[in-house]
Amino acid sequence: MLTIKQFASIPAGTDLTALYRARVGDYPKFFKMDTACKLGFLLAEELADEPRFTPREDRAVLMFSTHGCLCNDRHYEETVQDFPSPSLFVYTLPNIITGEIAIRNKYAGETSAYVLERFDPAVFAGLVEQAFQDVVTASALCGWVDCRADDDYTAFAFLVERDGDGKAFNTENIYGILDQ
Amino acid sequence: MESLINEIKLKLIDALNLDGMTPEDIDNDAPLFGDEGLGLDSIDVLELIVLLERNYGIRLASPQEGKKVFQSVAVMADYVAANRTK
Repeated sequence: MLTIKQFASIPAGTDLTALYRARVGDYPKFFKMDTACKLGFLLAEELADEPRFTPREDRAVLMFSTHGCLCNDRHYEETVQDFPSPSLFVYTLPNIITGEIAIRNKYAGETSAYVLERFDPAVFAGLVEQAFQDVVTASALCGWVDCRADDDYTAFAFLVERDGDGKAFNTENIYGILDQ
Repeated sequence: MESLINEIKLKLIDALNLDGMTPEDIDNDAPLFGDEGLGLDSIDVLELIVLLERNYGIRLASPQEGKKVFQSVAVMADYVAANRTK
């Protein structure tokens, strides 16, 4: 059975730079990231293991959204008429969120990015469960990072593990945690 | 030289979309690339080449030259001061 080890969320309108400076502060690459990546990165920092940066292959990273990287796509599109910005272009794929998290934390397990029509806890839980079908994955960082604009987003993540002590990772408990 | 260094830092922040970063966050002598300094990568070199050309009229002859020029903000500023055409 999959269980919830930890949960983290970032309210819309949060000053992400201030949050980074308060909680992290030593990863200048943060400033290069688009808003969606910053959200995923900061959620992963909240849910990171101690000691930090221990390489592990049994941790999957799965990120979900409706808008993918549309917010950054718009910023990139604005540059196309003049000089198409390479530094913005690299963030025009939604799966870069999982890559940034995996690189920072040395997670070498499965990484997946899903773009869904809407948030549905049953679909969310089902797709996370699928990631545990192999014999390697023991835990997963799975989040909903839906960035509609730089100051308008929904961002939360669960750290889910196999047979842990926490609540079951199911639709009812996902709703229960999100409603708090 | 200090004002040129600060100007280059501001242009770096703008060109590389380093949203939220301030000039004070960038050490003059810290490496621009790799995990030790600003954390830039090979994609960002293109932005830096365009930055030099547009703002200072400098065209780098080869990528090897870029490796030397883009070591740090201080090195960039020295190079700009010696080679700028505008």
